[in-house]
Amino acid sequence: MKKINHILLVVIMVFATSCSSDFLDREPSEQIRDEKFLSTLIDYQTAVVGVHNQLQNSNTYGRYFVLVPDVMGEDVKQADDANRGKEWAEYEGDFTHFIPENIWREFYEAINITNQVINSDKYEPIPDDQAAYDQAVGQAHALRALIYFDLVRMYAQPYNYTSDASHMGVPIVTEHNIEGLPSRNTVSEVYDQIIDDFNTGIALMTLEEKQYYMSRQAAQALLSRVYLYKEDYRRAIDLATAVIDDGSYELAEGDDYLRQFLKGESDEAIFEIAYNTTDNPGSDHLGGMYKATGYGDYFPSQDLLDLITDGDIRKTTVDKDPEVPSMFLIDKDGDIRVNKYPSFDATIYTDAIPVIRLSEVYLNRAEARAKASGADRDEAGAQADLNMIRKRGLATAPDVTAIGDALIAEILIERRIELCFEGHRIFDVNRNRQDVVRDDCTSNICTITYPNDRFILPIPDGETDVNPNITQNPGY
Amino acid sequence: MIRKIFLCVSILLFTSSYIEAQQTITGTVSDDSGGPLPGVAVVIKNTSNGAITDFDGNYSIEVNPGNVLVFSYIGMATQEKIFNSQRTIDVTLMPDASELSEVIVVGYGTSTRKKLTGSVSVINSESLEMMPSASFQNALQGAAPGLQVNASDGAPGAGFSIRVRGTGSINASNDPLYVVDGIPITSGSVSQTDFGNQERSSNVLASLNPNDIESLVVLKDAASTAIYGSRGANGVVMITTKSGKSGKPSVNIKSRVGISSFAYNNLLKPLNTEQYRELFYEAYENRGRSVERADNDFNSFSPINPETGTYYDTNWIDEMTQSGVTQEVDASVSGGNEKMKYYISGNYFNQDGVVINNVFKRYSTRANFSINLSNRIKFTNNFSFSKFKQRGITDGTLWEAPFYAAILLPPTIPVYDNNGRFYAEHQGIMGASNPVGSLYDNVRDLKQQRVLESFDISYEFIDGLTFKSSWNFDLLTVDEFIYLNGRYGAARNARGRGNVANTSDFNWLGTQSLNYVTHIGENHNLSLFAAYEAQEFERNIIELQAEQFAHPDLTALSIAASPTLAETRSTEYAFNSYFARLNYDYNNTYYLSGSIRRDGSSRFGAEKRWGTFWSIGGGYNISNESFLEDSDVVDLLKLRASYGITGNASIEDFESPALWSFRNRDYINNPGGSQTQASNPLLTWESQSNFNVGLDFSLFNSRIDGSVEYFERVSSDLLLDRKLSLTTGIEEITENTGDMQNTGVEVSLGLDIVKTQDVDVSVNGNITFIDNEITYLPSPIVDGSKRRAEGHDFQEYYLFQWAGVDPENGDPLWYTDETKTTTTNNRREVERFYDGKSATPDFFGGFGLNIRYKRISLGANFNYQFGNYLYNNPGWIIHSEGRFIPRSTSVYAFENRWTTPGQDAIFPRYRAGGNRTSNHRPSSRYLYEGDFIRLKTLSLRYDLPSDILERLEISSLQVYVDLDNVWTWVADKNLPFDPEQTSSGAYNTVTPITKTYSLGVSVGF
Repeated sequence: MKKINHILLVVIMVFATSCSSDFLDREPSEQIRDEKFLSTLIDYQTAVVGVHNQLQNSNTYGRYFVLVPDVMGEDVKQADDANRGKEWAEYEGDFTHFIPENIWREFYEAINITNQVINSDKYEPIPDDQAAYDQAVGQAHALRALIYFDLVRMYAQPYNYTSDASHMGVPIVTEHNIEGLPSRNTVSEVYDQIIDDFNTGIALMTLEEKQYYMSRQAAQALLSRVYLYKEDYRRAIDLATAVIDDGSYELAEGDDYLRQFLKGESDEAIFEIAYNTTDNPGSDHLGGMYKATGYGDYFPSQDLLDLITDGDIRKTTVDKDPEVPSMFLIDKDGDIRVNKYPSFDATIYTDAIPVIRLSEVYLNRAEARAKASGADRDEAGAQADLNMIRKRGLATAPDVTAIGDALIAEILIERRIELCFEGHRIFDVNRNRQDVVRDDCTSNICTITYPNDRFILPIPDGETDVNPNITQNPGY
Repeated sequence: MIRKIFLCVSILLFTSSYIEAQQTITGTVSDDSGGPLPGVAVVIKNTSNGAITDFDGNYSIEVNPGNVLVFSYIGMATQEKIFNSQRTIDVTLMPDASELSEVIVVGYGTSTRKKLTGSVSVINSESLEMMPSASFQNALQGAAPGLQVNASDGAPGAGFSIRVRGTGSINASNDPLYVVDGIPITSGSVSQTDFGNQERSSNVLASLNPNDIESLVVLKDAASTAIYGSRGANGVVMITTKSGKSGKPSVNIKSRVGISSFAYNNLLKPLNTEQYRELFYEAYENRGRSVERADNDFNSFSPINPETGTYYDTNWIDEMTQSGVTQEVDASVSGGNEKMKYYISGNYFNQDGVVINNVFKRYSTRANFSINLSNRIKFTNNFSFSKFKQRGITDGTLWEAPFYAAILLPPTIPVYDNNGRFYAEHQGIMGASNPVGSLYDNVRDLKQQRVLESFDISYEFIDGLTFKSSWNFDLLTVDEFIYLNGRYGAARNARGRGNVANTSDFNWLGTQSLNYVTHIGENHNLSLFAAYEAQEFERNIIELQAEQFAHPDLTALSIAASPTLAETRSTEYAFNSYFARLNYDYNNTYYLSGSIRRDGSSRFGAEKRWGTFWSIGGGYNISNESFLEDSDVVDLLKLRASYGITGNASIEDFESPALWSFRNRDYINNPGGSQTQASNPLLTWESQSNFNVGLDFSLFNSRIDGSVEYFERVSSDLLLDRKLSLTTGIEEITENTGDMQNTGVEVSLGLDIVKTQDVDVSVNGNITFIDNEITYLPSPIVDGSKRRAEGHDFQEYYLFQWAGVDPENGDPLWYTDETKTTTTNNRREVERFYDGKSATPDFFGGFGLNIRYKRISLGANFNYQFGNYLYNNPGWIIHSEGRFIPRSTSVYAFENRWTTPGQDAIFPRYRAGGNRTSNHRPSSRYLYEGDFIRLKTLSLRYDLPSDILERLEISSLQVYVDLDNVWTWVADKNLPFDPEQTSSGAYNTVTPITKTYSLGVSVGF
């Protein structure tokens, strides 16, 4: 009996020692605590990649941010069973719809990453790492600028909507504060922030980058676009010229034209969102909205097809698709589908989605030169820029001879042909004070006139429900 | 500190010696089979002197002549013996037939109905045998008040949605804690894929063989659950597996086979080609399109059958269903002697679903032993192993979900193409999905292996004081494989896609406890219990995905050209707990109980890591008072009440710190990250106060038996995701805010109407009324078809309100606001509002009838639910009046659509592309009354008479016919899906519940 007592005594002691003081301290295996992150250069670079990943998201450049501006215009029409984004094509969306919320949420998540990178004081670079550190911080600045520009395009009327751009823009958040309930800054203030960030980024970035990362040249090209929207034509021209003269980029010719979207990393791309098989989002890729093998919700309209001359290289961005059952056919021109994102088989849904290409920089400069006043006005230069793009499309195309408003009109039509399905249309319509007129119209609404409250998206209820300081856009 | 005190106490008690008696009488107490009965209380009446029998049933006690010895033991009728001058008094205790003294397993101990101060339901374990369901949870349905049990999917091996006394939480789990032989085990779905079905279709508890369960008890109030502290808030389901009984080995073999089909008759039916064609042309005409175009489009996807020269006419539901078959064989051996007892079993369960290739197959074994090493040392070991394989189907609105695609795919699409392969030429329609082909060409396999092991050793230091050390292990692996073929459906562009997910869990729990039972004086009975417990859980997951398969017949990921996902994930948590309980009664008349538990968990913020939970309960056994003691009418009349605080710690393992995440945030093979969680160091469990008052009664020799209870469950500090401004980059932060209340009344009643040697007739029933209200919520939360808001039921619908079809033009009409006075066809003019309809039932329960005539018995059990509403989640697609043309719709929609002016129709005008005024947001158009009554089981049993048994040399033989779910009544004759859905009331194209006709035999040797 006594022996057993002893054994049990030992057993109890062993059992009772199962608990040490750190028994309840556990660490997650897939996440890092905030206080430990952004304390090395690699952390900075990881965070910057994280911002790019946000842009690759199907709610931002991956799909909806690019799709919606196009379906709101006249160059894209929808199938009978279109489901994703149809409300915006028909101008029937409201602030409870998921698209305004998803774009808003994902872009602001990206902004939070850039803010954390820009503001972190947990790391001081050693001299050897200074350039890489500056590059990462510069990228964060330029990416923040791009995202604020995209937000202010999407959720606010264009810069020229009021004479001093004092109308509502989007909230500028540059510090991480989870209890923040910011109100909307004016469009003018948002543009100041954008220009400031781009300039800081341009100054900091000195290293070469692949086209699928933010780079100094990308920041210059995008800032040129910002100035065009702002109607500061001299600066738009200067920055466009800087990118064109940089010599890093060349317009794609022949088969390379379509390949720039299919494969990415072309000489024409300045900044693009790339995909590979690991990043493949399946049918949720922008291309899935157009492909018969994807959701197949949207088609090129006859209005657009009529603008493109046969033989023009841009005609390859639309294509007959024998896979389309005839019930999806477009009444006039048969089974024409968008072919700008032409991937198929093993690499399907890995097409690059352009953020900015050299051809746009030419068109931006052409427009700025044609619209500028005084010494900056350069119609010959504008014609030359337009010819670059038009003759790249079709070598036999006639020289541009138009001047004045006719020249501007031709440049804007060229933008439709060159930049279709890349998410430009409604922004170009709105900032040029144009109407949307759909002749080949599958929507319930075929003419939408400027000025229009519904050329921009509502502030989502996910924001307005929580943030009492935010004002909804009129008309929603 | 507490641990040290505990240790000291243990050592002190250990080394103390017992008091020597000078004059003794000895004796042995045995049960009716002659086996010794340890633990019997032997007390000298009207004194505080007593003893307890040892493991051989022996006792010794000091006595004087004329003393009366009282022998009492749980489950046995108490006996009294007068001491004259005997040297020994041996006693045989007989089982107490009355269920009043039946042993009820409660948390860390046992009790009886007489002694309980808390609310506890005991489930009849006979109903667990040979059910046509893989999980014991099926037997909980309608079986006890306070339990709302719904099968969440009718597919083999699927899960159940179980709520004990309503919904107590918004974001944390609402599932009860399951405790098997002492270990809180993982429940619900641990599947990484769940066949794509959001935890409805896989169920880890399906590993337990229901035939092995001896007792199934549900603890409902604080007095019974507070001993589980931060995990007791949703109730506790106590499962105790069988153990051997002394005596010669007893062998039991059971076998059953059953045939299944859908239980509910009014399921949606697909259109035939004639109907579909009519609708298609009508849709085009209503859109203003030409007949030529309709011809052209219709023919573009509708091939001609070369054999008939006309269109195919496929009924997709018929093509993908069959008669289901359930087979089960169970064998067990049990027996033992005073030194050792054992129970060994094996079980095979196979269920072929009503959908082709939807299969669940389980093998399980169990070995339970207990060994009395000496008079005072006892070992028990319960071990079980089980393996099951489930081949599932998907649901929801995935294109290949069988019960979704079968309605939407046009009937003109054939099942097979001209080469005899599954047809896949309809590329533009639902990704060329072929719901029949998918059942063959796609694989959704889940294999689970589970070992449950509990080992304990107990040592009785001195009479009445026992130390027990329990060690429990739950090893669980779930291996999943999903393969989607590369020719049609979701992976058609990827040339096949394969997914592998392996999950392995390891969960251990160690409990060290001391239990002390004593009697002070004649009438004071006291038991004390104290314990220390530690638990650690870890989960490791490996998930792989690859695309581009070399050959359609091969599905190994190694032959896929393009690996697309390789992940390992892991998580863990730990609990540390100290707890104690006191039970006291005075003369079996006044009862008092109290428990306290202090829990620490790794899941919570550093500043709120430890919490204390407690309960207090009291009972008053009125029938023990002198004025009722000799009553012929009243056997038991007992009033009891309890109050206490429990917790709900069922949240994610790392919700407290601010975190950066990297998963799926890479870009072009470079790792990326984002801040995904804000910090909340104050995060802690939800707490719940529980008040319960009940009256138990038993009359006329237990011929009338029942309970009435009232409860109030007040949940506070509910974990809520407070929405942040999206401009912060973080959507929400989890905080302890929010209060919710469930109040209710439970009644259960049993009547033995006839009780004679040849004939028994009895009826029983239970009903629960429940009322749920969110009492504090900082801001409303819209969640799909519902909106959580203060003053409303948690499950109350918040919908756009359907006002029917405009008889003039067939337009959908909507009420503009809650006054319901104005209708409009402009969806911009409408708003959502509450309409007093909720997924929470007003009342639910079950009732049954049992009749026995000699050796034939007939039993019927019904369950019912009233006052709840069900929401058809995919209704806006399946019944969308043409928005998704060329997709088809149901016969119900076809027959009730608007076609001519002046017609009162249920469905609007059918128009290609849909009506402009259709509203695709959650609306009452897709809401149905959920009231139903279902005949859950109807069984007819015959026991062969003993003369035949003797000739066959067997001890028992029973043959039976069981009918499950054969009859269903619903209030809403338009309800297009089975009334039994998850407690959220949402229908998601799951497999309908099935009815089963089975034949079985049970033999005992």
